[in-house]
Amino acid sequence: MSGRVWQLTSTVVVLLTAAVLLTGCPKKPATTAGTGPGGAGTSAGGTTGGGPGAGGAGGGAGAGGLGSGSIGSGPGGTLGGGGGAGGVGGGAGAGGPGAAGPGVAGATGTTIPALPSPKDFVETSALRDVHFDFDKYEIRAQDKPVLDENVQWLKQNAGAQLLIEGHADERGTNEYNLALGERRAKATRDHLVSLGVDGGRITVISYGEERPLCTERTEACWAQNRRAHFLVKQ
Amino acid sequence: MKRVVGGLIVALVVVLLLFPSAVLTPPSHSQGVDVFLNVTQGGSKKLGIAIPEFTRVGGADEGNFGHVIPEIIGNDLRFSALFAVVANDPPLPRDGDPLRQRFTELAAAGAHAAMQGFLAVTGQRVTVDFRLYDLTNPEFRLIASKSFWAEPLRHHRGLAHRIADEIVYQFTGERGIAETKIAYVTRSGQNKEIAMMDYDGFNQVVLTNLQSISISPVWSPVDSSVAFTSFFKGYPYLFRLYPFNPRRQQPELLSAWPGINSAAAWSPDGRSVAITLSKDGNPEIYALQVGTLTFRRLTNNRAIDTDPTWSPTGREIAFSSDRMGAPQIWVMDAEGANPRRLTTGNYDTQPRWSPRGDTIVFTRRTAGGFDLWAIAPDGGKERPLTQGQGSNESASWAPNGRHIVFSSSRSGRPQLYTMLMDGSEQQPLTRDRGEASSPTWSPRPQ
Repeated sequence: MSGRVWQLTSTVVVLLTAAVLLTGCPKKPATTAGTGPGGAGTSAGGTTGGGPGAGGAGGGAGAGGLGSGSIGSGPGGTLGGGGGAGGVGGGAGAGGPGAAGPGVAGATGTTIPALPSPKDFVETSALRDVHFDFDKYEIRAQDKPVLDENVQWLKQNAGAQLLIEGHADERGTNEYNLALGERRAKATRDHLVSLGVDGGRITVISYGEERPLCTERTEACWAQNRRAHFLVKQ
Repeated sequence: MKRVVGGLIVALVVVLLLFPSAVLTPPSHSQGVDVFLNVTQGGSKKLGIAIPEFTRVGGADEGNFGHVIPEIIGNDLRFSALFAVVANDPPLPRDGDPLRQRFTELAAAGAHAAMQGFLAVTGQRVTVDFRLYDLTNPEFRLIASKSFWAEPLRHHRGLAHRIADEIVYQFTGERGIAETKIAYVTRSGQNKEIAMMDYDGFNQVVLTNLQSISISPVWSPVDSSVAFTSFFKGYPYLFRLYPFNPRRQQPELLSAWPGINSAAAWSPDGRSVAITLSKDGNPEIYALQVGTLTFRRLTNNRAIDTDPTWSPTGREIAFSSDRMGAPQIWVMDAEGANPRRLTTGNYDTQPRWSPRGDTIVFTRRTAGGFDLWAIAPDGGKERPLTQGQGSNESASWAPNGRHIVFSSSRSGRPQLYTMLMDGSEQQPLTRDRGEASSPTWSPRPQ
């Protein structure tokens, strides 16, 4: 078992978002707990000696691969080699050394509000999308009346929470488009806020180019996909 | 440093594009290695090598490994672009005059070297004893003699890759890349999962079943983990996976700030991840110390800053920024100081710094779509690597700095392709029914 095994023994301060996120990782060696909503991140004992790599010759399922002396992705696989004619099969396999599993990376001590789950928001025909030019995130003049109407609805439905999704078309690269969608969602939010909507009612999320409305490779289709889309939670 | 032994060497100066370190760096364990393939910049001559079928010396070869393994080795050596595989011949005679006669024939056919293999299959273990000979030497000198095995039998491809990498090492002093993996994104309906395969496209396995959008996988240089951004908890957070560790099969959370947690890039020492966060308003680049979970903000302006990539020294970070109006490639010190613009295109993203340090490959929007371009870190030598065949994106360097894997829609749906760093030898790696994109080339196994 060669290689570095990270031994992290650090106390980490965890966001409350972490609490949600960490569930569902049952065997994680280093879970840390978060706090309740709205609270400052609490410190919880972070942890861990990192799990050592998949072990030795014939490690379990998925062992092998990049581990020294071991190859393949199935169970129990080992591959060895030795120098010299007739050399011994040398390599007892080891998986990669395990890094420690810090529960989460989070803010240290910063208060960060809980984000509502995007799944809690539903479609509504009352709020119309706004659209953007390629690689742009400015609200277009022709879309301002659309936002004016959306603001009217929001004022009439004062209890409604809003999720603004920012989207890009498929052209361009995934990571940049994720950032672009974020800018579009936030530009839209900022415009609503400038018209008097309480920013505390609004959550934003970017899907980048990952959730196209239309999948044809035409400018008409791309134009539909470059959008800010609204969902609500009553 | 080149270790020159006997009379071999001089005849075989195989001059290839991108192996300067073969002559500059002593092999890490140089015992008994005769480096006589001098791979330096500026030429194209390849070393001819014969990889005949293996001679069976034990067990029943029901898997036809005596044929299959040398075939895989030959493919690996061809892919390296350092070798020309001369012939796929029947097994060599064991020794003596018949062997010398065959060597003479192979040399006449253009082989500078030959491999002789002896295959034994016992139970689930396949063992290959192999010998490398120098055919330019009148005595047909034995260069190396080694034995490798694999178990169970279905790991024979790994065995072949290991032998190929050993051959590359014997001739260049630098380890090959045939044992590396490529992780990538595979589409499943509306979802995207993280998958992995051998560097040659075999043994595909889907690593995640998150039934969500997972994108931008990137291998850690040190611990066989893959960091990636996924929406499976609702928002785009950064996770990491350990594909080879059965005890860590669940994605582990690395960063969960409000907003995006995306475009991760590992520092060369594996201690830090450069990442794009929008928690402070707009997308900015931060460095996350994985051990201490501390963040440091590296960029600070009103534009989009994303796509960080570290120089191999760890002293600089290239990234994309639209602070001048359109996304372009910028370089800054690793602490965030001294940002300077590197490219002036109207859509340049995804810079990827070569492991050799002398080239940054990036994605540029062109008239025909998107192409991969290369530029030196000082702004010189800007040139296209792909030209006008659909969208070519998401380059990732092989650990030897000679090969690049990328995604291309040239055949319709996005699939993975490889090429040499000068753009030559472009060839498909995947031909999946679905889509394959965002490849990341693993480090060599350690």
